[in-house]
Amino acid sequence: MMTPEEQRTRRDFVKKLSAASLAALGGSGARALADAAEVKHPEAKADSCILIWLAGGMAAPDTFDPKRYFPYEKGLEVDKILSTFPAIDTAVDNIKITKGMEKIAQVMDRGTLIRSAVQPDLGHILHSRHQYHWHTGYVPPLTVAAPHIGAWMGKVLGPKNPVIPPFINIGQRLEGVGEKEELKAFTTGGFFGSEFGPMNLPYPKDAVRSVQPPKGMEPGRFANRYKHFKKLIDQNPNREYMSDFQQESMLRSMESAHRLLQSEEKGAFDLTLEPKESVEKYDTGRFGQGCLLARRLVEEGARFVEVTTEYIPFVHFDTHENGHSTVDRLKKEIDAPIAQLIRDLEERGLLDRTLVVIASEFSRDMMIEGRPGSNAKDQSRARTDKLTEMKQYGLHRHFTGGTSVAMFGGGVKKGGLYGKTADERPLLAVENPVPVEDLHATIFTAMGISPKTAFDVEKRPFFATKDGHGKAVMDVFA
Amino acid sequence: MRGFFVRGVFLLGLSSLAKGEVDFVHEVMPVLRKHCTECHTGTKKKGGLSINTRAELLAGSEFGEVAISGKAKESLMIKLIHSKDDDEWMPPKGPRLEAREIEVLERWINEGLPWEEGITLGESSWEPPLKPRKVKLPPAHQGRDHPIDRILDAGMAQQKVTNPGLAPDAVFLRRATLDIVGLLPTPAELESFLKDSDVDKKAKAINRLLARDIAYADHWLTMWNDLLRNDYTGTGFITGGRKQITGWLYQSLRENKAYDQFVRELISPTAASEGFINGIKWRGDVNSSQTREIQFSQNISQVFLGINMKCASCHDSFIDRWKLEEAYNLAAIFSDKKLELHRCDKPTGKMATARWIFPELGNVDPKASKNERLKQLAALMTHEENGRFTRTLVNRYWERLMGRGIAHPVDALDSKPWNEDLLDYLAVRFAEDGYDLKKLVRFIMNSKAYQSRSVILEKELGEDYQYRGPIAKRMTAEQLLDTIWQVSGVSPDEAAGKVDRTIPDKKELMKTSIKPQPISAKWIWHQGKTGKKSQLRKTIKLTEVPVSARLIATCDNAFVMKVNGTKVASSRDWQKPVVADLTKALRKGDNLIEVDAEMFGGSAGFISEIIMTRGGKQVAVVSDGSWQARPPGGQWKSAAELHDHSTGPWGKILDPKQILAVSGGGNIPPVRAALVKNDFLMRSLGRPHRDQVVTSRPRDLTTLQAIDLANGDLMANHMQKGAQTFARKGEESGEMVDWIFRHAFSRAPLEGERTVLSSVIGDGRDAQSIEDLLWLVFMQPEYQIVR
Repeated sequence: MMTPEEQRTRRDFVKKLSAASLAALGGSGARALADAAEVKHPEAKADSCILIWLAGGMAAPDTFDPKRYFPYEKGLEVDKILSTFPAIDTAVDNIKITKGMEKIAQVMDRGTLIRSAVQPDLGHILHSRHQYHWHTGYVPPLTVAAPHIGAWMGKVLGPKNPVIPPFINIGQRLEGVGEKEELKAFTTGGFFGSEFGPMNLPYPKDAVRSVQPPKGMEPGRFANRYKHFKKLIDQNPNREYMSDFQQESMLRSMESAHRLLQSEEKGAFDLTLEPKESVEKYDTGRFGQGCLLARRLVEEGARFVEVTTEYIPFVHFDTHENGHSTVDRLKKEIDAPIAQLIRDLEERGLLDRTLVVIASEFSRDMMIEGRPGSNAKDQSRARTDKLTEMKQYGLHRHFTGGTSVAMFGGGVKKGGLYGKTADERPLLAVENPVPVEDLHATIFTAMGISPKTAFDVEKRPFFATKDGHGKAVMDVFA
Repeated sequence: MRGFFVRGVFLLGLSSLAKGEVDFVHEVMPVLRKHCTECHTGTKKKGGLSINTRAELLAGSEFGEVAISGKAKESLMIKLIHSKDDDEWMPPKGPRLEAREIEVLERWINEGLPWEEGITLGESSWEPPLKPRKVKLPPAHQGRDHPIDRILDAGMAQQKVTNPGLAPDAVFLRRATLDIVGLLPTPAELESFLKDSDVDKKAKAINRLLARDIAYADHWLTMWNDLLRNDYTGTGFITGGRKQITGWLYQSLRENKAYDQFVRELISPTAASEGFINGIKWRGDVNSSQTREIQFSQNISQVFLGINMKCASCHDSFIDRWKLEEAYNLAAIFSDKKLELHRCDKPTGKMATARWIFPELGNVDPKASKNERLKQLAALMTHEENGRFTRTLVNRYWERLMGRGIAHPVDALDSKPWNEDLLDYLAVRFAEDGYDLKKLVRFIMNSKAYQSRSVILEKELGEDYQYRGPIAKRMTAEQLLDTIWQVSGVSPDEAAGKVDRTIPDKKELMKTSIKPQPISAKWIWHQGKTGKKSQLRKTIKLTEVPVSARLIATCDNAFVMKVNGTKVASSRDWQKPVVADLTKALRKGDNLIEVDAEMFGGSAGFISEIIMTRGGKQVAVVSDGSWQARPPGGQWKSAAELHDHSTGPWGKILDPKQILAVSGGGNIPPVRAALVKNDFLMRSLGRPHRDQVVTSRPRDLTTLQAIDLANGDLMANHMQKGAQTFARKGEESGEMVDWIFRHAFSRAPLEGERTVLSSVIGDGRDAQSIEDLLWLVFMQPEYQIVR
């Protein structure tokens, strides 16, 4: 483990490394408000962060926060139902989660479960808008493009391994899916510029293509092409431009790109290099493969990796009908890989320095849209007072009053439980509510970033957490 | 030992978090503003103390140090605040500080007086003028009498620096073409420009470029789409909360609508232009600083006046003079209903009154209808005494053409320009020229300053910027793609922006534009022994130049066709027929068509059709027995008709519909990047998402962008398509290298460069090699940086 002194030195080093990229910000107008010496960053507990994003609104009562359960039965009054899955025991005495998550249950002693995360209601549920809020800390629309939290980590901490892009986004397609423009709006480096934007890997099995020569190009031809590129530069008669910073930084970026594309580390992107038995433990589909890819990338020095079940309107966790059967299927996809990811990181000695966060934009409820008293429009597609068919059985309304977030590694308490939701509807957070800015402050604090870190945009300070007011929940840390 | 040290640091971190570090902007500044700034900021320095900046505060007063970092109790500031002595307590007037406020200041001093960079408490000593100002021009230096040069030369003489000297003609033409139409000069354009000995040739070239109204609009659309955050997809469209203004915007640029009229139509809009002021309407609740009304206030301030109203739309601005009330009053002009002021998203109980921000010029009538108010605002914005309006625009255009704003950044007209005379002169001139945007471009580009060599910058420009010459610009994403398409002769199939790009005087003809007809041409060769080669020719007499003329042809196995001595088409693969635009190659009177045909083995034959249109009529010139043919060196005789098109060994190789793939003169020009939807490549290269107003693009290439350029599918596809068009032309490799190089860089390759490229391209027949060649040319900094 590095001493704080060593860490600081390293950070300076990284800063110098990315001097070119900092220069890139001239155009986008972001300038650090204070240099590293003036912002007091907390000591980092983790060097990497993996965000497991269960997109679409994961219903806490059907996953991490079991409540009164009724199995499906014709004629059952829906307002009695809180959960559609029974509770199961976990490795921690006072924590129960729901059936279908048995493998995760067995690793709950490696992390802390927060049951009191809350989100604003925003008057109308538009998933991508809540997701924007969750990923940037700011509610859109905004006057400036807010950076994703992964971009913040890349910007403030720099890459962990200079060859691996610091912000990698796995599993979310940004083309061909609904609300794609809205998704793109926060899947970005924002005002930090594209240097800090994500490397998008929607298909984990194809990830290696992002670090390979273009389709159909032999590696030899690829290397040759770059060699000739450099030869042509050498022959350029305008020698005076070689000292021009714009030209220099352009050539440096080309060089870094080719360094990655020809590096040994690029093997981290290649799932075929993983032993077969290991792949099998993860491979429940794209999400499971994504978890495996995340592990490989973190091993090789990625700073921030997001892996998602993917947001597609009305699909996956966005259950407007058939909630129970959909979540039942999703559990089969997420249970094994998430648990395996935690175990693998632990086995490799990486869990202590890797913060794994499992979250979603909000929870769901059988009855309440938004939160009690909200004027948000009810968007359930299976409205009924009494169950008459299976598709009505499930949590079909968006609920922002209390949801679960699980955190593992990265200095988080082992076997911890924080916050509580009510036992009866409305299932509001009744103890220690954690709004998005405090959750972010907690994540940033674990990563060694002050929640008050700010950059100057158009002469105004723009903070890592909303207005610099996020307060880390120190109780979740050991 | 180390463990102990670590824990110590950790605890420190914890305690400061628990208590919270002092927040200068939100905790300290309000206290200083309430009690101290009246006497100690701006030009006021009571007791010799100014607290405009941290440095000035630390410099102290005539009584010595005022605030000692880390030592609140010992600091004079705190002592005087606590003082009971009537003569010395601070502040001398007004309420005394509350205990809570004193605690904040003490904590602030003890924490080392953190002060966010860039924040100035007092108004800066420079106040941006509102009214236009006529500038008296200094005398010309060395005969450089363009007003811009007179002003800049005088400044440079004062600083004892010399002007950078004129750029070579080729550099000028490349820069000017990219700046006006966003494309590269073609090798032919370059050659005729270089040959031209006319002393006015630069001015004439500028005029020629400005006259290309479609290309001009295609290019400037990018900047205006960014500014007016107009796009074809994007946030807000799925919910119907956003509306395009593409058609109106494109047409306005194309017809060079006067800028004052342009802005009046945006502020007081028709259905076609209302998308701008209507902003983006989100479903659900939004922060009160993001309602459509406030977006209106922010956007028109930023875009037309270079005023940042974003701070003031949440609270009185800390960084400039604008107040919450002013932001809301401006918003109220647009608002359909009564608008309550919200401070930091909390209602204040105070209602806004529709008011414009520079009452010196007049005001809107708050009682008038919304449409009437908007009309009044449009008139005030474009008021002849509103110098802010013209300065903001000329500053933006100066930045586009010269690389950096006179006031920088271009949205901060509050910051002092590096040359007030220049900014004011341009602004007044622009108004006098009838707010004519093309005239402004022409005026700037005709200066020696614009025509100078660009300066070499060894580091990023800072606040201390001084003019030394034009600054190189990076190609925008759109320019990069447009020029790549231009050089490689490909273009996207379809425009997302539905705009009128037809050429007006040919509109009538468009109605009866070309209709594909069954191919009536015959396969021909010379009579007698086939041999390896055949020469074919035909003269066609035209009483008038056709509006469009297109060729479709192929040969088993290869051919080169010339029209009036100029090569127009070639192919080395009979299975890939060539289509080409011959419009410009034909002239009134006799036109000689010559074909060198070659057979590699097996069957031999050449077939072609030229389809010409004029006045709604369509004429085909087809290969048949009316052509003449001979073996090389032999006698000219009538060509032998070997087969009909659909018979013989080749089958129906020509598809008449293919001729539609080329522009053929009378058609619509190839689709440009600004008109297509944003994609991964363009986004990566800096085309913004346009949720917000964007006024500058990133200058530097980042590593992630470089990865996309190196291996992204989209870029690879562009290279592939381009390579295929070159491979189809079947040119000799040396010729191809020279042509590509001249087109790309506006200069001939040096020997060393030619050697590198020749080794890549080999004999010029392999599409992959051409692809690699194109890539390494397009990726050169010399290509992507507009010098």
